[in-house]
Amino acid sequence: MNYIATIGEREVKVTVKEVGVARYMVTGAEKEYLVDAHQVQDSVWSILYGTESFEVDVQGRDDEYEVLIEGDCYKFSLMNEQRKALIRAGWKGAVGKALVTSPMPGKVLKLLVAEGEEVQTDQGVIVVEAMKMENELKSAVTGKVKEIFVKEGEVVELGSKLLLVE
Amino acid sequence: MFQKILIANRGEIAVRVARACREMGVRTVAVYSEVDRRALHVRCADEAYLIGPPPASESYLVIDKIIDIAKKSGAEAIHPGYGFLAENPLFAERCEKEKIKLVGPSAHSMRAMGSKTIARKTVQAAGVPVVPGTVEPITTEEEVFRVAGEIGFPVMLKATAGGGGKGMRLVKTEGDIHSALRMAKSEAKSAFSDDSVYVEKYIENPRHVEIQILGDRHGNYVHLGERECSIQRRHQKVIEESPSVVITPEVRAAMGKVAVDAARAAKYEGAGTVEFLVDQNINFYFLEMNTRLQVEHPVTEMVTGVDIVKEQIRIAAGEKLSLRQEDVKQTGHAIECRVYAEDPDRNFMPCPGLISSLRTPGGPGVRDDSGVFEGFEIPIYYDPIISKLVAWGKDREEAIARMRRALNEYVVTGVKTTIPFHIRVMNNRHFLEGDFDTNFIDKVFFPAERERELPHFEVAVIAAAIQLYLDERKQAIAGRPSGTGEPVSMWKYSSRPGMPKIL
Repeated sequence: MNYIATIGEREVKVTVKEVGVARYMVTGAEKEYLVDAHQVQDSVWSILYGTESFEVDVQGRDDEYEVLIEGDCYKFSLMNEQRKALIRAGWKGAVGKALVTSPMPGKVLKLLVAEGEEVQTDQGVIVVEAMKMENELKSAVTGKVKEIFVKEGEVVELGSKLLLVE
Repeated sequence: MFQKILIANRGEIAVRVARACREMGVRTVAVYSEVDRRALHVRCADEAYLIGPPPASESYLVIDKIIDIAKKSGAEAIHPGYGFLAENPLFAERCEKEKIKLVGPSAHSMRAMGSKTIARKTVQAAGVPVVPGTVEPITTEEEVFRVAGEIGFPVMLKATAGGGGKGMRLVKTEGDIHSALRMAKSEAKSAFSDDSVYVEKYIENPRHVEIQILGDRHGNYVHLGERECSIQRRHQKVIEESPSVVITPEVRAAMGKVAVDAARAAKYEGAGTVEFLVDQNINFYFLEMNTRLQVEHPVTEMVTGVDIVKEQIRIAAGEKLSLRQEDVKQTGHAIECRVYAEDPDRNFMPCPGLISSLRTPGGPGVRDDSGVFEGFEIPIYYDPIISKLVAWGKDREEAIARMRRALNEYVVTGVKTTIPFHIRVMNNRHFLEGDFDTNFIDKVFFPAERERELPHFEVAVIAAAIQLYLDERKQAIAGRPSGTGEPVSMWKYSSRPGMPKIL
């Protein structure tokens, strides 16, 4: 199976072939590796890479991956070749950067703007409290507050829509 | 000695106190909110009582409920841990009135030292150097502006009742006053039910060094040396160690004497901590006194061999200190890393949630003061601390090597933690050389991290590719339609006309 990993600006083609129980032949960046991979604990893998042993925590969501190895976080996107081609052809709906979502579960403490109000990039628009810390969330764009989806005092989940700036 | 102690707290510190009680043969009473029924502190207590809904203001902070349960359970003493009611003089007063012994200082000494503004007056009178600033709490923007004009920008706004970096804001210029004052007051109000703040000169590039003291009601005092707490993020300590690389035996003795004098001046009883700012010339200034057990007390325990919680309990029971100053010896070096449920790769956003798997470190010189277990859901209502990992070594080098080794053994899944951040700090050249101040994280560590090249990108991509390969295969076998956000099965696309064929 062929995959495309995008690391910053760079794209790397990776091929995975299963060659035995928990054994894979992986080709990437013109090299070939025999990898022995066991999912040992939830998202944690024990990887024998040649004879080198690594403990690797793999988190993937919406094609975006975060992999922890020895305290370092490796961020990249990864998808199979077909999906990459489809996205290149414009299949993926454009995601509005102007939507402010909650980066954590918590409580809406204060709305700093009202609907229709003009806001600047990096202007604080809403305060969300989680674990006794107040976090002021900022607008990523300059524009007008189109819609507010929450009320003060409301409990929100990770990823909840808070407000839309256009 | 007491027969039974109520622990008015939750999480790792409630577990820590229960451990001391168990070792002393004292029965423990836990209290818990509705979300904490399954919490570790309930499981390791002898008795447990529900005290109300999840918000602390309706459970762990309600004095009436705590007192009521102490009476009902027949507890003779209450250990408040840190946070919640630990530094609330109203609670101390109420305990005194109800003839329940608070494991901590009297309401009188709490008032004398617990309020930062009053503490400044107390120690200034004893000739202890303090950082320039207001002695009275301030309320308006104009006052902040006036004081800043006298002592010069930058200044710090701090909650009078504060601690833990909450209710604290830096004011660099006049333009920052409005939002800084609003945030400081609002945070102070929600964290300490007291929105008064004061202004202090901001000393640039200071170290934060504190002295642990113990005092009994018979007038005996000792200090247990210093803790270096300069590694901070948003003014909250994240890594502490003892001893500090900059403190010489002479400075240690001088700081220790000042700390003991300050405690004696307030007729202080129990364990307490006197915090100092230390400038680049190793001049020290009194910052505040914490009239409670500190989060970072284990590093002192590891180098002195003194169990501070047991000492607290003995002192509260009226016993004399079990040691004199000349008995106190610092042996080796200890470091503590606070493990929080926060994502270090997303600006330390809190990450409450279910701990789906857990492997805790062990081996020589390692101590894990944890408040969680596999299957526990970290609630959104309280501090996101998971545990405090402490490593001891014969010297600083060995302590760091052990800490790095233990952090690599520590596996927590389901929630993001600050373990990766700690590993990175344990590899930072400046940290290894002991060359840091309270600005280390923002000014030195993060810039160095941005430059650093990551060594194992290949392994990371290979592991992810194998996982994606298996996910896709699983979906293909299950014939599950691909929803949003899930990896798209190639079989589905290949069957559509006009799509490239899969080879």
